[in-house]
Amino acid sequence: MEFINKYPKLFQWLFLLVVFFALCFAIEVPETYKFIRGQAEFVKDPNQSSFVFLGKEVRYYAFDVFWRLPPLLGWLPIWINDSLFFLMNEWMPIEFWNEDTQEYKTRPLVLQISRNLTAFMTFLIELIREILLGGLETIVAFTSWDWIDKNPWAELPGLPWTIVAAGAAILSYKLSGKGLAIFAGLTMVYISIFGQWKPSMQTLSFILVAAPLSFIFGLGLGIAAFKSKRIEKALYPILLVMQTMPQYAVLVPALVLFGVGDHAAVIITMVVAVPPMILLTILGLRAIPPEVIEAGRMSGCNNWQLMFKVLIPTARRDILIGVNQVIMVCFSMAVISAFIGAKGLGFNLLLALNQLNIGLALEAGLCISLIAILLDKMSLAWANKQTDYFGNLSFLQRNRNILFFAATVIIGIVLAYIGTFLFKGSYNYLFEIPHNKGISTADFWNKGVDWIFDTFFVYIKAFNTWLIQDVLQPMRALYLRMPAVATIVLVVGAGYLIGGIRSALVVCALTLFIALSPWWDRALVTAYMATFGVIVSCIIGFTVGTLCFQNKHSASFMLGVCDIFQTFPSFVYLIPVMMLFGITDTSVLIAVIVYATIPATRYTIEGLRSVPVGLHDAATMSGVNKFQRLTKIEFPLAFPHMMLGLNQTIVFALFMVIIGAFIGTEDLGQYILKALSDKKGAGIGFTLGICVAFIGLIFDNLIRTWVEKRKKHLGIN
Amino acid sequence: MLKDNYLNRLKDLPETVKQFGGLIVLTIFIILSFSVLNIYWGGGDELIRKMKLEEERIAKEKKLNALISKLPSGILVTFDGTDNHKLTDELYEAVCNATKLIPQRAIMAAHFLNYEAYELYTINGNKIDDTFVKWDKDKNKCFAGYTVSGNNVGVNKTAKVSGEVLSFLSTGIDTRVYFIKNF
Repeated sequence: MEFINKYPKLFQWLFLLVVFFALCFAIEVPETYKFIRGQAEFVKDPNQSSFVFLGKEVRYYAFDVFWRLPPLLGWLPIWINDSLFFLMNEWMPIEFWNEDTQEYKTRPLVLQISRNLTAFMTFLIELIREILLGGLETIVAFTSWDWIDKNPWAELPGLPWTIVAAGAAILSYKLSGKGLAIFAGLTMVYISIFGQWKPSMQTLSFILVAAPLSFIFGLGLGIAAFKSKRIEKALYPILLVMQTMPQYAVLVPALVLFGVGDHAAVIITMVVAVPPMILLTILGLRAIPPEVIEAGRMSGCNNWQLMFKVLIPTARRDILIGVNQVIMVCFSMAVISAFIGAKGLGFNLLLALNQLNIGLALEAGLCISLIAILLDKMSLAWANKQTDYFGNLSFLQRNRNILFFAATVIIGIVLAYIGTFLFKGSYNYLFEIPHNKGISTADFWNKGVDWIFDTFFVYIKAFNTWLIQDVLQPMRALYLRMPAVATIVLVVGAGYLIGGIRSALVVCALTLFIALSPWWDRALVTAYMATFGVIVSCIIGFTVGTLCFQNKHSASFMLGVCDIFQTFPSFVYLIPVMMLFGITDTSVLIAVIVYATIPATRYTIEGLRSVPVGLHDAATMSGVNKFQRLTKIEFPLAFPHMMLGLNQTIVFALFMVIIGAFIGTEDLGQYILKALSDKKGAGIGFTLGICVAFIGLIFDNLIRTWVEKRKKHLGIN
Repeated sequence: MLKDNYLNRLKDLPETVKQFGGLIVLTIFIILSFSVLNIYWGGGDELIRKMKLEEERIAKEKKLNALISKLPSGILVTFDGTDNHKLTDELYEAVCNATKLIPQRAIMAAHFLNYEAYELYTINGNKIDDTFVKWDKDKNKCFAGYTVSGNNVGVNKTAKVSGEVLSFLSTGIDTRVYFIKNF
């Protein structure tokens, strides 16, 4: 009794765990239960039961409900599919003028809108692609094929790589200085001489369309949400789900709506990139001190002027951080959208991974990472750059960079012209180095992979076997052994203990959605893989973060490393692990660990840094040693911040587990991947995406609520 | 009055006790909800029974398939005096149980001695109503048969053909009835 009075919370948690384990032991695994017979298999079997809802028949194995809930939401994917089909093929047929056939044609409204949108996006991509690489589609769009036949001079020649490289260096110099300029120049030279110019420019053109459009939409919606509570409330759940929704899952409905190609990739990238922009816009506008708004009003600003002359310039930094996030999302989507036919480095990377050509994959991956780092640094530099309104500069000083660029354009053109003589009868390397004519280190890397396999095969195999047989398989079996009722009691109970009845209801609704979908078993496998990744990542991240925090330089260095690693598109992480461990669950989990360790490390350092210096001094004066200070003061105070890191770690781990389906896992990701190649996969893909998002949101809700309470308890704002 | 007293007492309880009580209520509520759902949706025992039968069937089929895959391709007979592969008694029963198909060749051969069935079969577009291949435990023999029905000059008729299976055809993937002795 004394124990209960002393530690009431601990007792409640113990009670919850006892109930959970009691339920686990009390409910036996049905004799005929097999993982492969999970509800998600959609195999027609005479033993299945069925129910009809909204005219859709759902077949399932009627296990004891305590063990597995029936898939009462099994109709949802079918309904989504049918709705999409109805929207695209039957809803609101309207007559449209067809330019090609010069007659009216009846088409459903949504189909026509999607076709128009597709045409617009294709035009934008082609335009930028032809500026960078040359071509004639854009000119033809405004004239005709006959005209271009008669005037071949009008074909866009494309920019020589030397001009783009110099342009990138000059822009970087203007934004940040020498360091970034050198990095930009070297990156462009590397891309060019390694024969990755064309795919890189294809990727860049895709980003140059997706990023500005995402920025405009994100900013617009962010402003609207800032101005209207209703819009904010309507957007909030979408933003929440989109934060944890795997990007893979959004691809599948996009396929149905917009087809395959760069245009679909741009649209879907916008869908993924707009939410962070909205969030950062709202955050930036909210952070504006009321005095600034008052000052604007007193100066006689109307609403429009107040927004665009006062509020947005004041929130400039947050908004530009949003631009940075948009660019990063665009890069990660550049690879993922290769699944729906986007051209560029992502496609090459995917192709190389598919052929298990690690060398080629590494080259493409390195290019993507370099461009991502460059654009990340450039956009951050832009965000941090202060405009000098008072500099009394001459014309030359003001326009120095533009003049430099104009000079490099002329030099580049001259060089490209000289190249036509230098490389007569061959490729003009001063204009563009073709894809297969650059330097390639693929063979070297492939031989390296072979050498690693030859030399360490025994050890790698032993590690692989140990990890799979002794750690992963038992853990997977444990997760699958959890009866539905026990899992729900545990999750809802945790929600109740952390955040009260409201939190319990929220996590209950989210868990029930997954439990009532046909993919509960697969969700458990996803959760097991993510849990394993999160546990290991947190151990590594917290340890490394704590160790690095002990020294100011090592902390800054580690944060820099985290910055760079965070800019790598998630797919790139699969390359080195595939080099070492081949196509196994181990590869996926190691990629998960590497990817998810970044936020764990970053938040640990930042959390420990956030502890007020005054407390350090107070502790030192009280005579505590370094270890005592760490464990008794710094850790308890930094813990809420570190838990936010854990939250991010979970989201990162879930994303990577889903991407890991590419090299073969048995989780929800595998079904999302299958849905991509299924004609009726949109509903399944989307529902699965929501399931993954909900797993993330359950943890997000629990952790955030705990953090809020803990911060309040500690008096931290 | 009494109700108010109880409510006041509940309100006066310490926060931790109230929270613990809430946790217990929540747990019981979830378990009860599952019990109610189980009445409507749970099919545990029935499913287990059905699935066990299904598993037995699958196991049996697998065993038979393994057996069939070991048999030589070609004609398998139950009698002496030919060059074809002769089945042992055990194999004869196993192959009989594994065989499902009666191909057209065996049907046409059986029709030699059943003109009525032949007529119905040809007039109605070579359609067979249903077939069977089964092992007769009493006679220790395999029997196969089929029914043909249809309209023959304005009259609806049905003819049943059945007899002992004297030989099978092994394709390497499955076995089929090769010859039905219907005389």
